[in-house]
Amino acid sequence: MRYRRQEAGTALLFLAPALVLFAAFVVYPIVYNVQASTLRWDGVNVGQFVGLGNYKELLEDPVFVTTLRNSAWWILLTIAPQAIIGFLLAVALNRRLRGRAVYRAIFFIPAILSPVVVGIVWQRILDPFNGVVASVGRLTGIDVLTQPWLSDPSTAIFAAIFVNVWMWTGFSMLFYLAGLQLIDTSVIEAARIDGATGLQLMARILWPLLRNTHLSLLLLGVIGSLKTFELVYVLTEGGPNHASEMLPTYTFKQAFQLQSVGYASTISVVLLVVAVVSSLSMVRAFGSGFLTGDET
Amino acid sequence: MTRRRYRPDASGRLHLVLVPLAALWLVPIVMTLGLSLLPRSNPKTTALGLLPESPSLSNYVEIWQGNPILGHLLNSVIISVPSIALTILFGSMSAFALARLRVPLKAVIFGALTLALILPMSSIIVSTFKILQSLGLYNNLLGLVLVYTALGLPFAVIIIRTAFLAIPNETYEAALIDGANRWTIYWKLYLPLARPALSVVVIWQLMMTWNDFLLPLVTLSDNALKPLTLVPLAYRGTFLSQPGALFAILVLISVPIVAVFLAVQRYLVNGLAGAVK
Repeated sequence: MRYRRQEAGTALLFLAPALVLFAAFVVYPIVYNVQASTLRWDGVNVGQFVGLGNYKELLEDPVFVTTLRNSAWWILLTIAPQAIIGFLLAVALNRRLRGRAVYRAIFFIPAILSPVVVGIVWQRILDPFNGVVASVGRLTGIDVLTQPWLSDPSTAIFAAIFVNVWMWTGFSMLFYLAGLQLIDTSVIEAARIDGATGLQLMARILWPLLRNTHLSLLLLGVIGSLKTFELVYVLTEGGPNHASEMLPTYTFKQAFQLQSVGYASTISVVLLVVAVVSSLSMVRAFGSGFLTGDET
Repeated sequence: MTRRRYRPDASGRLHLVLVPLAALWLVPIVMTLGLSLLPRSNPKTTALGLLPESPSLSNYVEIWQGNPILGHLLNSVIISVPSIALTILFGSMSAFALARLRVPLKAVIFGALTLALILPMSSIIVSTFKILQSLGLYNNLLGLVLVYTALGLPFAVIIIRTAFLAIPNETYEAALIDGANRWTIYWKLYLPLARPALSVVVIWQLMMTWNDFLLPLVTLSDNALKPLTLVPLAYRGTFLSQPGALFAILVLISVPIVAVFLAVQRYLVNGLAGAVK
């Protein structure tokens, strides 16, 4: 008994630094947000208690509807392409292939670049006057390519999504490569002997065996989509006229440009609830093994 | 190994697909490098706007002389390096406790940690700003280090814990019986074995600390303290007239992180897979 208590004490010492930082910069901000979401507050003067007023206002806010729609598009149109291209790249680059380290680096490097860099670079690429896309359009006569992708409200969000796919596909590839290392080679060997073609091997054996990787990427993808801020902020600032607004960019605008800290906190709380509920329901549906590395 | 079984002609066909795809993927990178060589004297481009007509290194000289770039670069280092070190240390300590020790409320702690993985930076930015202010860490690089460490810990704990779990439990028990205390086991045995996982954490944490601009944008008012990522945003107006200099800065922001990535690249896949060396 004494031994056990001593071990628990040691364990707490091991955990202490992480828990302290965690309390200060994760738990406290959440509490703070919840509290501030009940105030009409500019962040400086004393706030005025409005109960659930901010939430009611948010539900009637057309921009809020836009952000939800954009998040839905983001989730739908980033996760699947990133997973499929990433998977194919991983299968191709998992074999002994000349230059595979170079290929891996080329596809992964966009993911490690700053969104500031990626945003500014793609602004230029998509620029209707100086951009590469427009130049290709003029050269080939495909006029549609010369349109202002980022400043047209009907295309802005999709252009940002496209850039996101360029940026993060290599990340999915790396995850799949890691997943492939865990597959027992004898399974592949056996399938080969049974005469499975490369395509069958990929679709019937590798893809199902990578279940945990799919789930991790799905979870990270949903959370990442909801959290998207930097890229959109640099590319479009959520514009034009909120057309590419995401929940985090809208939060930022409310808090730092419009000085409605109470309202911004309300958006944050809603965002957090949506993120937590969707993560929890995934963990509930699929088990938590894909996240914790435990066998389920 | 299974690899010998692939038909010999398959890899040739693979290159046929991979080369064009890789080339397409590289377009933005090539353009960034190309435009960084675009001199102010001749802002004309060729090759679909990818390359300058008369390349020159003048922009690199200019940004070095015109802005306190070295200072901004140092700020980025002062933010990133300590935060990576702390995340590795605190993260691996927690991971050790969660993997091998009897922890009260283990599930709650683990669940709470994953909460931070979900938390968007923009949601905590206002409150973080207030906390840092009350701690006297507003407009201070240490404040950034602490926040990034807190936000990076969940991922670190998850990845390192997986690696620790892959180390046979018998090793741990044998060491205990030999009279090693838990701190020694953690430091001398577990930490070195988890090197691939640690390299993943290094890259992950570097991506957050080196690339983020929201937190410094809000918590640093002093221009001299700003990290490299804020330079393009801070001087956006100035750069409008000289895109070459802007792209040279973008290259400068990217070179260090790409270099670190190339250095640890060969560990990453195994590290993510939770393998131990």
